Amino acid sequence: MKAGDRLIGSSAEVRIKRRSSPCVLLVLIAFCFSACSRPAQTTGELRVTIKSDPKTFNPLMAEDDSSDIVRYLTGGVLIRVNRKTQENQPELATSWTIDENGRRITLNLRPGIKFSDGTDFTAEDAVATLKAALDPNLHSPKGDAFRAGGAATVEAHRKDKISIEFEHPIAGLERLFDEIAISPSRMAGKADSSVVLGPFSVGEQKAGEYVLLRRNPYYWKRDDSGHQLPYLNAVRLYVLSNRDTELIRFRQGDIQLINSMSPDLYEQLHSEDASAARDLGPSVEPEELWFNEVRKSPLPEYKKNWLRSRNFRRAMSMAINRADLARVALRGHATPSIGIVSPANRFWFNQNLQPTPYDPNGALELLKQDGFRKDGDVLKDKAGHPVSFSLITNAGNKPRERMGSLVQQDLQQIGITVNFIPLDFPSIIERVTRTFNYDAVLLGFTNVDLDPNAQMNVWLSSADLHEWNPAQKIPETQWEAEIDKYMRAQASTLDRKQRKLAFDRVQEIAAEESPTIHLVDKNALVAVSPRVKNADPVVLTPQTYWNIEYLSLGK
Amino acid sequence: MSAARWAAVALLAAVFLIALAANLFAPAPYAKQFRQDLNHPPTQQYPLGTDELGRDRLSRLLYGMRISLLLAPAAALLSTLLAAIVGGAGAYIGGVWDRLTNVVINLFLSLPWLFLLLTVRALLPLDVPALTSVVITFALLGTLGWAASARIVAATVRDLRNSEFVLQARASGCPSLRLLLRHVLPNVKPILIAQFWISVPLFILTEANLGMLGLGVTEPLPSWGNLLRELENYGALAHRPWLWAPLISLVLVMSLFQFILSGEEYAS
Amino acid sequence: MSAMKTRDVEMEPETEIHRKTDCRAPSPGEAAGPESPTSAVPLLSLSLSADYSNKPGVLRNLNLEMQPGEILGLVGESGSGKSTLALSILRLLDLKGGKMSGSILLKGRELTTLPESEMRSIRGRDIGLILQSPMSSLNPALKIGTQMYETWRAHQPGSRKQCTPRFLEILHSLNLDADEKFLNRKPAQLSVGQAQRVLIAMAVLHRPSLLLADECTSSLDLITQKEVLNIFRQLSRDMGTGILFISHDLLAVSALCHRIAILRSGELVEVGLTREILNRPSQPYTQQLVNALPVPESSQQ
Repeated sequence: MKAGDRLIGSSAEVRIKRRSSPCVLLVLIAFCFSACSRPAQTTGELRVTIKSDPKTFNPLMAEDDSSDIVRYLTGGVLIRVNRKTQENQPELATSWTIDENGRRITLNLRPGIKFSDGTDFTAEDAVATLKAALDPNLHSPKGDAFRAGGAATVEAHRKDKISIEFEHPIAGLERLFDEIAISPSRMAGKADSSVVLGPFSVGEQKAGEYVLLRRNPYYWKRDDSGHQLPYLNAVRLYVLSNRDTELIRFRQGDIQLINSMSPDLYEQLHSEDASAARDLGPSVEPEELWFNEVRKSPLPEYKKNWLRSRNFRRAMSMAINRADLARVALRGHATPSIGIVSPANRFWFNQNLQPTPYDPNGALELLKQDGFRKDGDVLKDKAGHPVSFSLITNAGNKPRERMGSLVQQDLQQIGITVNFIPLDFPSIIERVTRTFNYDAVLLGFTNVDLDPNAQMNVWLSSADLHEWNPAQKIPETQWEAEIDKYMRAQASTLDRKQRKLAFDRVQEIAAEESPTIHLVDKNALVAVSPRVKNADPVVLTPQTYWNIEYLSLGK
Repeated sequence: MSAARWAAVALLAAVFLIALAANLFAPAPYAKQFRQDLNHPPTQQYPLGTDELGRDRLSRLLYGMRISLLLAPAAALLSTLLAAIVGGAGAYIGGVWDRLTNVVINLFLSLPWLFLLLTVRALLPLDVPALTSVVITFALLGTLGWAASARIVAATVRDLRNSEFVLQARASGCPSLRLLLRHVLPNVKPILIAQFWISVPLFILTEANLGMLGLGVTEPLPSWGNLLRELENYGALAHRPWLWAPLISLVLVMSLFQFILSGEEYAS
Repeated sequence: MSAMKTRDVEMEPETEIHRKTDCRAPSPGEAAGPESPTSAVPLLSLSLSADYSNKPGVLRNLNLEMQPGEILGLVGESGSGKSTLALSILRLLDLKGGKMSGSILLKGRELTTLPESEMRSIRGRDIGLILQSPMSSLNPALKIGTQMYETWRAHQPGSRKQCTPRFLEILHSLNLDADEKFLNRKPAQLSVGQAQRVLIAMAVLHRPSLLLADECTSSLDLITQKEVLNIFRQLSRDMGTGILFISHDLLAVSALCHRIAILRSGELVEVGLTREILNRPSQPYTQQLVNALPVPESSQQ
């Protein structure tokens, strides 16, 4: 199991992040910002919010959202995953090569670069940082994916050339460098983002109020006309968890960008200022519903039989009106899901999949095959048990609570009683991952990485995050064994086409068996103040300020 | 009784009747989603408009009133009785018992309720009908919500126990039980009535908040409390005044109750 | 101004009462004072000490006797243990967190060893108590009639209706112009004087042989005070009620009582006939008290 995955809960949003590793490609994309408007000199202080105080400023130890945001804005990395093109792009490494069947990567470092304190960046710094990330004693969450490659040797070959060699190949290896912020060798493993290679460094922090990031005067990037970046003097991250307050302060001009808005707040803003509210279209944030298929769960035997039946799950999928979920629950800012991969994940989405039709009668037909029958208005199973199950979700997320009500009503149409119960997030995790005392659960996810390797820990039947039936010793079903096979296949080759074929197959099996019913893919909704120049929001985090070095503030 | 009080009684009776017979008066089933008419303004078909799922607001208000008007007073009665028994008895007997009562009350007031309720939710089965969940919730409110009232009752009884008229009654040979019933209780009664009336709207609102913990009235069943939660979205209230209906009706009913009851007090 | 007036009013009842006590039927108390141990069984015979947990020695080995029908004044400054004595006699001291030891003989019967149930039947029936503040001694939530009925019910059977004439009769005998409407009033609707008379009526409802009056005139205005003193005198004379009149007001005490006992710091310093105490106080403390009286000065004039 890849350890880079985690469950994150907050009052406003529940996210289960999936992320991780390999894919092979040598891409050198020259970045073109010819259309950018440029201020003559550095301007102002950009203000955005983070939901809580960052737990750490050590970029290798960042795990919570706030720490990750600070890491992204301050850290200089060797290779960056461009959030717009979704491709790898050279940063501190000007080029790289992968050989030895994916076990070894050699990177050429950009010359003449200085840290924010004016000291020189050398191969030694990169080596020290990577060694720290690989150090099992440090337990860096950013190094998890690297450590999956087994024992590794990191070497500096010249002042500007390093290499890492792993025991096993890692597919999509270069994408992993996106999260490794290089720190001075003297600080390796205990860096605090005060001396950095990124556009900003941590200036000051007032707990519970803000984190102030100051412009790095030695930042290496320049715009087309040779003007040194970033344009902004500072970025202030206000600590603010209340999304309503965030919108109010946006309206007052106190903050300039909002990421991942709820449809309700988005609509509110849109009705006042249509130009500030932007719907970026389908994101990689699906809303999913799955049934408890754990054999040793405390559910009654007859209920386990329903939930473990493919026909039952597919019938549920057909009886839910996904178009209404998108239109009513998410106010039109979502797209009915086709499969387990969002079409927003351009390369990996399986184009051959057909959307599940909304078809209550078809659903009843499927249920009849399993011996279910309608008795008046009530659906009953073979033994005469009325079909009723509970659906839990995290409380406080209005769109998701609306989805639950809609699902409840849709299934009522075919005679099924759904007891819909919003719970606090820890209780949900407790039930879903430990006690297995639940029937069905509705949750939303954020896919941090687009690569299927990031989802190994979900799709392998042995994985702890194998949502519907985690940590199986041997696959309990034929189709889960098959998914295991294809997931391993895509991970063990460096041929992108073959990987795609394998993962397409996984998507087809998942559509057929519906272990987790993907309902809708939410649109990415953001707010951008007209004062912010060069804003180019994208669906991937950090949506509005992924290109922070190019942003500037007008009057 | 004055004409005004009669009118209040009549009005309250009418509200109760309409709420109890919600199924007769409601224009639509409370759970029916008219998905083409989301957030609809009031019309002939939807006298109070529809909510964000297209459900008729008037119908939901009537059904919500029915549940809350039946269960919140019942829970308030339960908690007030417990407050009277626990707080009153301890303080009346005095000495060690009084101190013990105090400890129990303080313990109850300082308990981390959130975690306790989470535990309760964890112990309850998930797959229970919405109505069962409501009844459990109000029973829980009733059995757990007495401590604050009990503290006030205990303080009052303590004062009464040390009062001269109780001493006087004792000195005139009044038996202990009679002393409690005829001398102490009548002086605690106004406090108990006040605590009852504070508890009713409190429980109605608490029930709404418990929804966050998976307790309380669950979808699609409406309650006064969860209808009031829509008022949190204050941004929308300005141009959609009909959203105030649940709050106005709650204030109205509570005022009627208090008007009628306080009148009774003065009259006796 | 007001001080002058007060003095004028105070003087008058004093002299008048002295005359009355002296001239009219010699009270049994005077005839059978503590100086005459040969009399029949005393009404009350005390020998007790009392302590509070936080204040020991409030009453120290206090010995006192009262004869039937006697009015005994108990005088002392506040905190000298006067009220403690009243509660001790009723065995209600534990309500205030106090402990009493010794002996209380009521008509020769030892009270300290009685079970609580029997003690209850003595309270109110054999011993009545009247407290200082009439307003706070009446239950604000109950009608006058109800309170009187409760007092009645504590010891006697009978319906409320049957009792009403008797209540009215007693109230009338206390110069209270009461009717059934009056019985339906709540304490807040009474004047202080009316309330005090209701309390007295309740205290004597069962014709107790001993009445404990604890500072019961000190919160009254002087005219009402005078009326209440007259009522006590009348009770002692007509019903033969022994009265322990507890007060810090030597003036009122000397106007009413046959004998006076002086209490200081939990100990009796002097007991004697009123006249003797006033004219020839033997203890320095008594002298101080007597000298503080305005009356003797005016008498000397």
